[in-house]
Amino acid sequence: MKSILRLAVNGKPREDAVAENALLIDYLRDVLGLTGTKQGCDGGECGACTVLVDGKPRLACSTLAHSVVGREIETIEGLSRAGNLSRLQRAFHEHLGSQCGFCTPGMIMAAEALLRSNPHPGRDQIKAALAGNLCRCTGYVKIIESVEAASRAVEQAA
Amino acid sequence: MNAPEHKVVTLKPASEPRGVGARMPFVDGIEKVTGTARYTADLPAGGALFGKILRSPYAHAELLEVDISEALALPGVRAVITGDECDMPYGVIPIAQNEFPLARDRVRYIGDPVAAVAAIDEVTADAALALIRLRVRELPAYFSAAEARQPNAVPLHDNKADNIERAVHNEFGDTAAGFAAADLVREDNYQCAEVHHAMMEPNAALATYDAERGHLTLWSVTQVPYYVHLTLARCLKMEAAHIRVIKPFVGGGFGHRTEALNFEVVCAMLARAARGTVRLLMSREESFLAHRGRPESHIRMKLGMTREGRLTACEAEVVQRGGAYGGYGLVTILYSGALLNGLYDIPAVKYDGYRVYSNTPACGAMRGHGTVNIRFALESLLDSMAAELGLDPIEVRRRNLLQAPTDTINGLKVMSYGLPECLDWVEAASGWQARKGKLDRVGNIGRGLGMACSHFVSGSAKPVHWSGEPHAVIILKLDFDASVTILTGASDIGQGSSTIITQVVAEVLGIDYSRIRIIANDSAITPKDNGSYSSRVTFMVGNAAANAAENLKRILVAAAAKRLAVTEAEVDWLGEAASSLSNPDKQISFADVAEEALVATGTLTVKGTFTCPPEFQGGKQRGGAVGSTMGFSYAAQAVEVSVDLDLGKVTVEKVWAAIDCGFAINPMSVEGQVQGAIWMGMGQAISEETVYENGHHMAANMLDYRVPTIVESPDIEVHIVESIDPNGPFGAKEASEGPLSGFMSALAAAVEDATGQRFRALPITPVHVFDALNKKPRVAKPQAESAQGAA
Amino acid sequence: MAALPDFRLLRPATAADAVRLRGEHPASRFIAGGTDLLPNMRRGLMTAEAIIDLGGIAELSELRVVDGWLHVGAGVTLAALAADPVAQARLPALAQAAASVAGPTHRTAATVGGNLCLDTRCMYYNQSEPWRHAIDNCMKIAGDVCRVATKSDRCWAAFSGDVAPALLVLDAEVLVLGAQGQRRVAIADFYRDDGMAWLSLAVDELLVSVRIPLREGWVSAYEKMQVRGAIDFPLTGVAVALRREGDTIADVRVACTGVSSRPELIAGLDALAGNPLDDAALALVEKQIKRGTQPMETTVINVSYRRRVTPVLAKRVLRRLWEAAG
Repeated sequence: MKSILRLAVNGKPREDAVAENALLIDYLRDVLGLTGTKQGCDGGECGACTVLVDGKPRLACSTLAHSVVGREIETIEGLSRAGNLSRLQRAFHEHLGSQCGFCTPGMIMAAEALLRSNPHPGRDQIKAALAGNLCRCTGYVKIIESVEAASRAVEQAA
Repeated sequence: MNAPEHKVVTLKPASEPRGVGARMPFVDGIEKVTGTARYTADLPAGGALFGKILRSPYAHAELLEVDISEALALPGVRAVITGDECDMPYGVIPIAQNEFPLARDRVRYIGDPVAAVAAIDEVTADAALALIRLRVRELPAYFSAAEARQPNAVPLHDNKADNIERAVHNEFGDTAAGFAAADLVREDNYQCAEVHHAMMEPNAALATYDAERGHLTLWSVTQVPYYVHLTLARCLKMEAAHIRVIKPFVGGGFGHRTEALNFEVVCAMLARAARGTVRLLMSREESFLAHRGRPESHIRMKLGMTREGRLTACEAEVVQRGGAYGGYGLVTILYSGALLNGLYDIPAVKYDGYRVYSNTPACGAMRGHGTVNIRFALESLLDSMAAELGLDPIEVRRRNLLQAPTDTINGLKVMSYGLPECLDWVEAASGWQARKGKLDRVGNIGRGLGMACSHFVSGSAKPVHWSGEPHAVIILKLDFDASVTILTGASDIGQGSSTIITQVVAEVLGIDYSRIRIIANDSAITPKDNGSYSSRVTFMVGNAAANAAENLKRILVAAAAKRLAVTEAEVDWLGEAASSLSNPDKQISFADVAEEALVATGTLTVKGTFTCPPEFQGGKQRGGAVGSTMGFSYAAQAVEVSVDLDLGKVTVEKVWAAIDCGFAINPMSVEGQVQGAIWMGMGQAISEETVYENGHHMAANMLDYRVPTIVESPDIEVHIVESIDPNGPFGAKEASEGPLSGFMSALAAAVEDATGQRFRALPITPVHVFDALNKKPRVAKPQAESAQGAA
Repeated sequence: MAALPDFRLLRPATAADAVRLRGEHPASRFIAGGTDLLPNMRRGLMTAEAIIDLGGIAELSELRVVDGWLHVGAGVTLAALAADPVAQARLPALAQAAASVAGPTHRTAATVGGNLCLDTRCMYYNQSEPWRHAIDNCMKIAGDVCRVATKSDRCWAAFSGDVAPALLVLDAEVLVLGAQGQRRVAIADFYRDDGMAWLSLAVDELLVSVRIPLREGWVSAYEKMQVRGAIDFPLTGVAVALRREGDTIADVRVACTGVSSRPELIAGLDALAGNPLDDAALALVEKQIKRGTQPMETTVINVSYRRRVTPVLAKRVLRRLWEAAG
């Protein structure tokens, strides 16, 4: 059964008829076409679907769309500003924090939440914040370096 | 309409490499970080039907009846297909094709596809599956190689009565004489659990059938669109010309996708049966069931060594539990034997390999194909014997180095060999001499260091589908807009092949990256490529790209000469511009040159190819082509661990890895590949393992199949050694498989350094370490397990 | 992966409304963070015609100190609890347990109530519908035998929440609201040793909050064994609370998770009062843990390891607390 869901996605208020049993990931991908948010496992095990809900990282595959009514959702598609890469997007691109790219949107969103609350995290803090996001390509080394580079970029901007 | 004036850029000599050698971000990286990269499941397909596969709940059974009548009658169902849909067996090795996209007559593992439906939505598809009735006669099932090899075991396949898919026996040199000449001969048994690729993107396919024309288009997650294309033509009995295969962005492969997989064929068959478009998304569990990973292996390894540490002979027996179908299996068992050679100078090598069918998902190629588990055994025994003789592990390896160029005893060619430099760097960087065997325990935490070496091919010199074509083809298109479009069939699956190819073309032509586009993987547009496996792309396609760019450059230089009114020899090619050597101030832009080049001929398409000469294609022995390559990568690594002696938990603290990749076309990418390879080796070494109970996959999810998280993953420092291979593009070789196989034994050595216990079975989980540390002291052979006192 | 079953989503604004809706919809379930329930529903482990979302109930998110107790609403997220200064300073076992659950992206959604009511786990149960069909299911869902112990007349699925053992050693109470009103239950009485019915909670009752006494003189800690550094459920988890007086133990409490169908408060440790933490004391702890827990083959990780390593972990935590309190 569908009912009206009102929330904001990437800064835009939305009003959509959404099935009450729809998962947030299905709403984002199938209704809004925001396919940057990935499904990498059978539920809650890999972190590829990480999005921000009111700035906090959440698994879109384990969240009902209607349970985030009225909230602000941010996906990987909402990070770039005026067509330019965000600091984390740029850092992941330039420091090869992304190889196959499938875990990348979730990884970047989890890192984004970290940098907003802690602009200059240490390695252990980066690891703790990304602990729920699996990557199979990088061995995580360049992911950590990418987050560190983004953190330095914040410093320069400040 | 007047063309705009072409801007002339005066180029300064670059201070840093711009083409090859540059730390360039991936050419398709922006799509990945912005979420605009479309993977198969992301492709827009309005109105696509929902496909779903019914899988066997039986490990081994005769299929008496698959009743689909009720499912077909369900409203919303558009197609239901069974094994009747395809009577052509497929498989990546032409002589071992014994798999059907949907089982016929027999199911051979729990998860074997039996039927498939296409329906208007997922709920209907699920409901239809539930209405399909199977009638079977169950057969005895075998979940280990030993069970399947019992004398009275029922054969899984009629042509292999003993369930041995392939037995390999060969001996090069005189091993008996070698062992006789040794001062120390030791033999040990090693075991490796089965592991799986666990690439982040689950399997998915999208197929659309144009019933009016009888044409099929398939988008899939494959590493090998060409093999998928051949398989579709075979299984659907269609003209290859009526099929189009497209590879969108792919979320990793690691070998899982180096052969056509059942779901791809099933998706195509569903689309044809439903006369429309079908999307088939596999769950993570189903991706585990498609398997094709590294087989459970039992290895008996015997080495002979002189007092000085020179190897005199090697004898190895390998038994692999191969799973239910052929797949790449015979290549895997051949690789294990072939690549006993090519790393060290071993004068005599005897190998007996057995690939055994079992009622588990089929194994196949996985990063380091066939070479990983046997490398664990050989390096481990080498360490144990060195310790017994009081030799340093690095020193004993130095005493067995090859001298390039050389031919190995089994007919492989080693053209470049940077292993000595790799060893030197690892020794220095890890502080080996000061720290090995000398790291103190801190409370209940033991610490240790270990090291190992490894190698891998840069592409198989003889492809599995031998057609007489070049090994690689690249096409460059130059058009009125003065842009260069690279057309390649090489599959970028995240390893960065499109970036490497682009760098090669940019280097040869000297032009700006903004002028170059690369289009990869659409059989309607791009030239055929064998695919991304056996680390072939940088070497083979890289060479083809260089060849294509040189061919184009020749045309451009001629055009520049014409426009500048000088001879070709007088043209100073600057890439974005050209001038005359005698008159450097007179420059014309690349656009001018392109314009001139198109006169009277129009759009230019220029081809480049690469072929491995026959002398590189391996020894004369049966299966001798496997392992043959034009360039081996070499790696050495040191691993530092800490071991929680109370809980048995091993933590990898740091890895130092040196890679001889010939030449680093993109050093940043080389680092990324090496780090990924070593880390994947770590997963196999400490936590990853598929587990079957009576054929049921007990770990077909990302919780129980323990891919390491960022928390327990170490820093991996990479050093690049450039041996400049004579045949590689700019001297380059592979970098992403060789470093993997050294990790396990380096870790085992480090754990031994920390605990005094040598582990010969993988993975070295807390359970095994705890058991070993808490077992009662042995009464007999007190010195056997800790050979460290010899120093 | 399978789609979720069709259901209606109800979003009450008060706990009382939630309980009322639960009564009105017999085939309904509560949902909090959803990190366990939704994957389970997608695997067909449970179904519902209506899902009652507790996320909109403000009173469930209260986290505050009242009269020497820390009150934690059932809807408080594990991330919030782990970051709470009072929990960190006064009830470290609780903060550590909350911080150790799964990964950070789970903890921002997962709640204290959800972790306390976490479904018991077993490798024959936490599987997809086709997987379970191939083994004819088990008694926890649609089958009639326990696949872990086929001759057993009970289900041995393991309770795997991290927060409960911390609450057990900290002597917490839970507040439960039902149609007949509310009741307080000692945390130990909230659980039952049955993999199918592990909670003492009637179908129309809602776990509203827990409260934990802020007592002087106690130190506490939680540690779990997992193969990886994150995401994993505990193979075994141990919470310890200790009150040390000079060179003797005044009081010690140990609880375990992951090794029984309920979180187990280890009995028989009263005898340690008045004794130093010596080898004999540690031996008694080990003996009582082995007596009080019963790990079964519910995971792919070997049962004997979980049995043997639980006391090792407990003794280590206890020694560390003993030193810290000295």
